[in-house]
Formats: sequence, C-alpha cells, structure tokens
Amino acid sequence: MKKLFVVIAVIGLAAVSSLALAACGGGSSSSGGSSGGGKEGGILNATYASFPDYMDPQLSYTAEGWTAMGEVYIPLLTYKHAEGVEGSEVVPGLAKEMPKITNGGKTYTLFLRPGLKYSDGTPVKASDFTHTVERLFKVNSGGSPFFTAIVGAEKFAETKTGGIPGIKTNDKAGEIAITLTKPRGTFTNELGLMFTAPVPPNTPDEDQSASPPPGTGPYMITKSQPGRGWEYERNPYWAKANSKAMPEYPSGHVDGAKITVIRNPQTQVNDIEQGKYDWMQNPVPAARYTEVKEKYEGSQFRNEPTISTYYFWMNTTKPPFNDVKVRQAVNYAVDPAALERIYSGQIKGTQQILPPGMPGYKKFELYPHDVNKAKELIKEANPSDMDITVWTDTESPNNEAGEYYEGVLKEIGFNTTLKQINADNYFTVIGNQSTPNLDTGWSDWFEDYPHPNDFFQPLLSGESILQTNNGNFANFNEPALNKEVSKLGEEQLGPEQEQKYSEMDENVMKMAPWAPYGTRSLDTFVSSHVNLENVIYNPTFFEYLTSFEFNE
Amino acid sequence: MAIDPQPEALAAGGPDAAFPPAPEGVSGERGPWYLAYKRFIRNRLAVAFLILFFLIIVFVLAAPLWANNVAHTGPNQSHTLEKLHVNGEVHEVVTPEGRPIGPQWFGAGGKFFLGADSRLGRDEMVRLMYGGRTSLFIGVVSGLITTIAAVILGLLAGYYKGWVDAIIARTLDILWSLPVLLFGIALGVSLAVGGLKIGPLTIEGGSIWIPIFVISIFTVPYIARPIRGEVLALGEKEFVEAAIAQGAGSLRVMFGEILPNLASTIIVFFALNIANNMLFEAALSFLGAGVQPPNSSWGTMISIGEELLTTQPLLAIIPGVMILMTVLSLNIVGDGLRDALDPRSKVRLEARAGMVEREGASV
Repeated sequence: MKKLFVVIAVIGLAAVSSLALAACGGGSSSSGGSSGGGKEGGILNATYASFPDYMDPQLSYTAEGWTAMGEVYIPLLTYKHAEGVEGSEVVPGLAKEMPKITNGGKTYTLFLRPGLKYSDGTPVKASDFTHTVERLFKVNSGGSPFFTAIVGAEKFAETKTGGIPGIKTNDKAGEIAITLTKPRGTFTNELGLMFTAPVPPNTPDEDQSASPPPGTGPYMITKSQPGRGWEYERNPYWAKANSKAMPEYPSGHVDGAKITVIRNPQTQVNDIEQGKYDWMQNPVPAARYTEVKEKYEGSQFRNEPTISTYYFWMNTTKPPFNDVKVRQAVNYAVDPAALERIYSGQIKGTQQILPPGMPGYKKFELYPHDVNKAKELIKEANPSDMDITVWTDTESPNNEAGEYYEGVLKEIGFNTTLKQINADNYFTVIGNQSTPNLDTGWSDWFEDYPHPNDFFQPLLSGESILQTNNGNFANFNEPALNKEVSKLGEEQLGPEQEQKYSEMDENVMKMAPWAPYGTRSLDTFVSSHVNLENVIYNPTFFEYLTSFEFNE
Repeated sequence: MAIDPQPEALAAGGPDAAFPPAPEGVSGERGPWYLAYKRFIRNRLAVAFLILFFLIIVFVLAAPLWANNVAHTGPNQSHTLEKLHVNGEVHEVVTPEGRPIGPQWFGAGGKFFLGADSRLGRDEMVRLMYGGRTSLFIGVVSGLITTIAAVILGLLAGYYKGWVDAIIARTLDILWSLPVLLFGIALGVSLAVGGLKIGPLTIEGGSIWIPIFVISIFTVPYIARPIRGEVLALGEKEFVEAAIAQGAGSLRVMFGEILPNLASTIIVFFALNIANNMLFEAALSFLGAGVQPPNSSWGTMISIGEELLTTQPLLAIIPGVMILMTVLSLNIVGDGLRDALDPRSKVRLEARAGMVEREGASV
C-alpha cells in the first residue's frame, strides 16, 4: 500500500511540475532521496550533547553550530542539499546565480534574489551583506581570516571603523560587488559558509547566542538558552516570501524542533531507543557503538564517512614544543592504532594533515610508532621546560584520547597536568591566547569545503593566528608556508596544485606542529519515528533540519 | 554533659590514649577511657567492622606492592594495544571494537586481576587500590579539617555566646541550608578548571586538594552545631565556674576545661565524618567535580564503569562495594564508639543521619 502510494505521488509530482522535480533532485541524496514514506508536520525532538560554541552565524565555527543554524541563516551561496561529493557543490543561496568573476579573478559580482525577507519581516537588502562582513570582523570571528582578502578588510579588522571599501552594494538593484586584493581560488566556497549569511543591519556587534538574530531560512530560532537548549519554528516569511524567491531550496517537513542538551550520550542513546527523542546530533558514544550499529543499522542508524582530521596540537611558540625534535618525538610516541581502539573503530589512523578523500591527499608515513626513538629525540633536544598542561574536552571518547595522550607524554619524560574542559566552551577556551598554559592538546577538524586550503589556511597559516577564537592552536607561523598557502590559495585547484598541496602536507608534518592520529567516521542515529532514508548528511552542514520527516 | 571531667587521666595520656587500658597500679580505679575500651571490645559487631576497616587500609596501602610485583603497571598506564597470555591463550586487553577485557584473576599471573577499566586498558585492580588511597585520603584529611574547624567554631560560639555566637551560628545555618551537592558540584567544576588562590596559597586546578577543600567547607556545620550545643551546656557547669573563679583565661577554660570534655563527641563525629566525606567525594567525582582524571578514586571509577554497565557491570560494582564496605564499617565503628564512650548519650546524631540520606538520594 505504502509503496504504491509513493509511486503515484512521485509520478503525480513529475507530471505537475518539472520545477518541483528538479527541486526534489536537488534535495535527494545518494542514499535514496525522495523515495519517501514520510508525512509533513510534527515537532522534532532532538538532543545535542553540548550547546554549540556560539548560536550566532558570524561567530560559530563548530559542526554543532553549523548543524544548528544551517537552515536558519542562508548565505549568498550555499551547498547543495545532498551528501558526499555532490553535497560539496556550491550553488546559489540568497544570490540569484553564481557570481560573475571578473578583473582577473579579483571581482565577484552577485545579485540578491528579489523579495527576500528576514523572519521578522524586514526586507533583505544588498547592503546588509556589507554590515554582516563588518560584523564578522567586529566580533573577531574565527571565520574572519577567510575574508581578509577583501580590499580594505585587513585594515578594518584592526581599526573596526571606516567600512570595507572592497564591498560595493546597490540596494535597488540588489547588486553586491566584492573586490579582492588578489585572486582567491576558494572564495566561492567561502561565500557558501555561514560566516557571511546576512543578518539585519541593526544586529548588535556582539555574541547573540542568547537571542539569535532573524535569519532568512525556512526555520527560525525562537528561543535559545545557552547551555540548555533551543527551539525552532517555521519562519513565517519563508512561505510568504523567501520560498517563492528561491523555490529550489527545501522548505522542510517538520513544523518545528526542540533541542535539549543532554550531556550524557548514554542517556541520549536510551532516550532515542525509547522514542523520547527523535535524533541525536553527536555520534553514538564509543561504549554503545557496536551494540547500536548491530541493532539499528539500516533502519535507524547509518554510518557517515567524513573528511576530517583528529590531532593533538603543540604550541610551537614556547618550550618545550618550540623545538622541532620534541614535536617529532611526540609524533613517534603517539600510536594511531591505540587511538583507533579508544574510538571503538570509529577512527582510521593517519598521521598527516590532509585526510583521505581530500584533494591533494597522498599517503605517507613519517613517524612509525617508536617510543624509544621518541625518548632519544627528547634526550637530544633536552628541553628547558618539561612541565606541560594537556588539554582536552569532556566528550567521550575525546576525553579518553586526551588521557591516552597525557600518558604517552608522561612515558617519554614530561611532567603533565591534564585539563578536561566542558565541550560547550572547549574551543573558546583553547582559542583564547590569554588562557594560561596552552601547551598541547586535542582537537579535530572537519572540512568546510573540499579544498586542501581549508586545512592549511585556517589551522596552520600564521595569518590565522588570532587573539581570541584562534584556530591555529599550534600558533604555527612559518613564513615559507604562509607564502605558499596564500600563493596556492589564489589559484584554481588542478592536478598541479594538488601535487603542491600534497608536498605541503609532508613538509608541514616534517616540522610536526601537530601529531595527527586519524580520520573519523560519524553516524546518524534517529528514533523509529523518523524516516532515516531521507535525512541528508552534508559534508559541510551535516544533517539538514529540512530533511527530517516523520514516518507515517 | 558527655563524661565526667578527669583531667588527670587526660594529662597522663591525652585523647590519643583513648584505647589502651589505663595504667595499672592505681588500685581499683578504672579511668573512663578504660571503661569505654572495655565496652567497645564487648561490641562484637563494631570490633568486626573495625577489623574490616583496617583490612581496607592495608589493602590500599599495599597498592604499590601489588602494582610493582604482581600487575607490573601503574594506575594511569594504558595498555590499549597489548596482548595478554592467559593459560596459553592470547587475549587482547581491548578488542578492536573497544571492549575492555574482563577479570582474569590469576590467569595472567595477577595482571588484570579485575580486568581493564576502559578502552584505555588500565588495570582495574591497580586503579582500585590507588583509587582507594585517594578516596580514603580525601575522607580522612577533609574529616580532620572539618573537625578541627568545627571544634574551634563550636567552642567560640558556645563559649562567648552573644554576637560571636550569632555570627557563627547564622553562618553555619546558611551553609547548612545550601543544597550541598549542587553547590559542591558548581564549586568543584569551576575550581577544577581555574584552580584556587587564597592569598599566598595556590591550589592547582587538577589537585586533590580542591575536593578536600570543597568537602571540608560544606561539612563543617554538621559537627560545629552539635558541638556548640554541648559547649553551651558545659559552660554552665560548676567546674567551668570554678576555673573562672581561679582566674583562668578564656583560652584556658575553652581548651583546658571544656575541650577535654568534648573528646568523646569529637572522636565519634570524626569517624562518622570520614564516612560522609567519602560519600561526598564519590558523588562529586562521579559527576566530574571531584578527583580529576586521569587519577582514580572510587567515585571516578564508578563513573567510568557506568559507561560499560551493560557489558562489564563489575567495573562499576567493585568500586561501589568498596565504598559501601568502608562507609559501613566507619559508621558501625562510629556508633560503637559512641555507645562505648557515652552510654547515656544524648547526642543522637540526627544531623549525620539526615546528611547521609540527602547524599544517598542524589548519588
């Protein structure tokens, strides 16, 4: 009965509107897409293990934050509502079409779709984009390094006044022209990130996590209680205005969602099994992974490969990690095979910056596990300071990875103190240069877009070292690398560039600012009420809220 | 009043000489301490649990012996990738799916006697012994701090009365009325990250002194209040008036006359307080606000074990049983001491009972 109904529905749809079918195609994913069986409406009851770093589109730079806000704030360009490689394709968002690139790759011209409105009814103007980029710099966002290439942005980042002359807008025509100081091969990708998703010009230039500003997406955040949870409702102006202006963008099935922060992932799993919650954003904890996978794979559980690197960073600016020998020693001492087990097999060991699946990835092995060699290197280096603090967050199994790492460092002769910080503000704490004793610790990185520059520029380039919201935790500042990163960043990605990135990967690992240990596979786990088949797992925005629907 | 004043007996041995029989020779005279000792010895149950308590102490003190000679590993050493030879078979300490090995007893020569604790593959037995040291150390030291602070506060409040009493007693009331566990968690979490600085004293964030400090503060009222009451009563006694009439100063009266009379109460409360503090520590550590990883305590071990409750329930049960036995033995010994030291005791220790209930409910 059900199947037949679905077929009729699909045929009917196709007959009525080819446009709608195109939208379906866009929304459908490699894992089955719109084969359906779902119903409209209902409130999605979901749970996160931690509150996102910020509930503010200009500030958030975590998977949690982007998952939470992906369908609330739409940038000028966005990523296709699809999975895998297809989901990495940049498509027009609030902009009518992809930008016209002129002036030797330095000027990007876009036009806003007409008739767009924020969820409070304010019309979206082209000049809002200028305000949003300015806001990005005023709040010292971790995403600001992506946009310093805009003419005048670097100066604005320092002075915070006088505007950014590189952005010219025309509200009447909806025209936005962005001029860069030099070509930038990744700029369309970066315009698709949430950092520059327009917000109303009167949005205060400070963290708005407790009352997120109005957005343009199909949902709006109606209530946000940092640390505890938040709620979504349908954006009233989506149906009235925006959905007509951008018909290919999915409108979503559920009428709203309520997110509760539950810090114990065990409880989350139990609650989903019992149907108390419909979805958990964070992965199933390592201790329950095998059991959940065996029981629910295919029906409620799905593995999601990611393009990510898990690593331990070492602060290269002060002893003992200012010595390359010490950092190499750590790489010899850390054993990815052990960490694979600590992550219950959800990690595949690698010891390089670029993960498999990323253009430019070429496997190499510089540091086969060898504790004796590590001890020798430490002896040779004879660092002046052997007292170090090791940082990690409290979320399992990252906390255990941190404990493992601390043990390894102790074994090769360091005096260690372990600090486990609540996952809500871990990255804010270690990204703040005034936090004392930032010696070494855990971190991870999931691609923003499939371009190796997205690993080297924000995480390892000297230009990305920030006072707060820093992402270059190693404070790695190597002039030769900075130059190469910015040079390659100007070019369009091709085989030659990929080769250069792969060499860069190896060169950086020889200097060893990190001890990488693996690439992660994540998962989607939903209750029996949710139609897992249609949930889209995008490599940039992860699970799209618009793709959740309840079973009939 | 607890016991009749016997300054001579106290001068001979002080409160430390609580258990040994009074010196022989004074014909026919038995000191109250000797009588108490006799009464305690007759209490079979209390004696049995006192022995159990000593066995637990021996168990935790033997930690380095077991770690070095039997298990050949430290409490925080991980063995994730190691293989174990058990009766000719090879087992992995942690399976590729991340499941730790179960108890091996003596199968591997005492290695992983109780299995591995988590995906880090640490020896559960070694951690249990070292964790017991931490738990007992925190219990005893915070018990000492609490008792000393409570005795001083109780003496000051009960002796001076008036505004001194008003300030101390009301402060204690406020502390008493706080939701201890919640406040302890908040304080524990914030101090564990930032550490603590009071004047020249600096405590590092991960230090064991953080939970000791938190626990000591919150348990003071449970002893200080009853002591204050007793001091108030003792202050009316003739021997105090006599001492004052002889020209003794306030300090002399408080510490020379009244304090010895509080000895039995203090000993009983001290024993019971250790038990309470251990429970408090376990609760704080379980919730991540007490002993910081990678160090173990019985509370953190339960917390780690909870994650594997479905597959390896022993990991949570064993430290739980250790806490249970220690707290039970301290409580029974404490009750035995109370009966022995003060057979006519009016101090019913309701405070203690109330506190145990409160904490028990939240754990």
